[in-house]
Amino acid sequence: MTAHVNIDDFGMDTISLAGSLPAKLAAVRDAGFSQIMLSARDVAGHEGGVEAAARAVHDSGLRVTGFQVLRDFEGLSGHLHDYKVDIAKSMLEMCHAVGASVLLVCSSTSSHASTDRDALARDLRKLAMLAVPLGIRIAYEGLSWGRTINEFADAWDVVCRADAPNLGIGIDSFHAFATKSSLEDLEMLSPEKIFLVQLADFMWQEVRTVEERITTARHFRVFPGEGVHSEALAELVMRLDELGYRGDYSFEVFNDDYSQMPLSTVAERARRCAIWLGEDVLRRSVPLPNQIRLRQGR
Amino acid sequence: MNESSDRELIADAANPLGLDGIEFIEYATSKPQALGQVLEMMGFRPVARHRSREVLLYRQGEMNVIVNAHVAKLPRTVQPVERPVIAAVALRVRDAAAAYRHVIAAGAWVVPAQVEVMELNIPAIHGVGSSRIYFVDRYREFSIYDVDFTLIPTVDPKPPALCDLHWFGIVQYIGADRMEDWTEFYSELFGFKALPDEQRYGILPKGRILKSPDGSFFLQLIEPKPGILEVEPDESLQRVGLGTSDVLATVAALRARGVGFVESEGVHSDPRGALTQSYLGGVMFELVHDQR
Repeated sequence: MTAHVNIDDFGMDTISLAGSLPAKLAAVRDAGFSQIMLSARDVAGHEGGVEAAARAVHDSGLRVTGFQVLRDFEGLSGHLHDYKVDIAKSMLEMCHAVGASVLLVCSSTSSHASTDRDALARDLRKLAMLAVPLGIRIAYEGLSWGRTINEFADAWDVVCRADAPNLGIGIDSFHAFATKSSLEDLEMLSPEKIFLVQLADFMWQEVRTVEERITTARHFRVFPGEGVHSEALAELVMRLDELGYRGDYSFEVFNDDYSQMPLSTVAERARRCAIWLGEDVLRRSVPLPNQIRLRQGR
Repeated sequence: MNESSDRELIADAANPLGLDGIEFIEYATSKPQALGQVLEMMGFRPVARHRSREVLLYRQGEMNVIVNAHVAKLPRTVQPVERPVIAAVALRVRDAAAAYRHVIAAGAWVVPAQVEVMELNIPAIHGVGSSRIYFVDRYREFSIYDVDFTLIPTVDPKPPALCDLHWFGIVQYIGADRMEDWTEFYSELFGFKALPDEQRYGILPKGRILKSPDGSFFLQLIEPKPGILEVEPDESLQRVGLGTSDVLATVAALRARGVGFVESEGVHSDPRGALTQSYLGGVMFELVHDQR
């Protein structure tokens, strides 16, 4: 590490990096990050299975920001519901095994899913109850191409209807910018119910169609400050900070170029963005040497 | 249940399972005889043995305690180690199958059954930590122990309770900031209700008390002390509470049987309650004044 900077609020996401789980963990740690967002793929595909993956994560010393992603869960009925509950249970078990306390759930895109918000809320409440014995919190995020829920304000509405203590909202800047959601809507959120914030920039001004959104989200994201939405990202982070959000920010950057570059190069880009957000935007101070991190509030 | 009064089982919204108290508490330990000695000091008597597994049934009055030394090869299950741990709570319900369906629909984890020939299939879900919650509906005209257990010869199968001891509650240790999660869990699945903070029982008033929907017992949720360093949350069923109409007389009777009690400045026996010493690395019983 070069200079003393405080980037503890920010973490990388394994989906930005090529290679094996241990290589990703090492690259993120070597770039000076203290946390990492894990994907079920890293764990399921790890040589030696979930247990070995959990050990690798533990041994890296990195804190796990969260675990992703459960898709198309809510609003189904009959055998489709039962199937998704089984999938959810597997995800929860993996999430627990790697020491993650937040499971990310994306709003459903399924045409088989109900559009009734109370039905969506009922399923999310059930998921939250399944997560209680494992000590996991559920972060529900509105995908910008979600069928019924595609903005954070809608996701918040469903979270409020479900009313479970371990169910909150996940905010992804990409989706908020894609749908041009008003950042003023952040005012209606309770900061303690924001369980995860994911940040990413992208290179085009607008993504109008659903197809464009999906392609951009999955292939052409860049780190905060690298695209054309830096100002909006800074505003988003400032607003969340003013609202009282003190949780983690994870860089949710799907990028086809980054996934074929040396890991250290990508991690270094992420580090520059973290320094920009930490020092220039949030003006975080450097903690005193030997400062003990007390239990995190929720 | 075939009584005519049960012909119309109208679900009670406040007690969705028809919860009717605790059928048994199960401990797991690899030293069942050592725990048996502690239980006998506390007034329990061994009454029956499991047909196929290393499992013993202890009883006094209405209270059944199962001591399980059988190694189960299932994930998320208490494996018997030397230090006894509370591995399960069995709840009496109106209809075990209906209760099972209700809690699964609400988000409970099913424990796969491992039943031997001619044994009862008692439905179970995962509880806190590695513990389980069973549902039992045969407790009036018929006892589950008649099927899976054989009585120990010459022993009184229904030993009376010492000083009218009865189940009062279970203390659960929870992780930091988990009070609301567990309160919601017990409320959603079983219909427990949180008592106001000023309503307390016994001499260990920490945490939050949840009352069972039938009013027959309590769960007490206790968080770690604030300000301690971030540690792995250790969540478990920590101890059981026994109700008695006269705490000090019960303390005297138990002392005479060799039970030690904690007598410190902070915690000591008084008419509201008492706490036994810790045995075998963590087994303790709380006495609570409770008129039945």
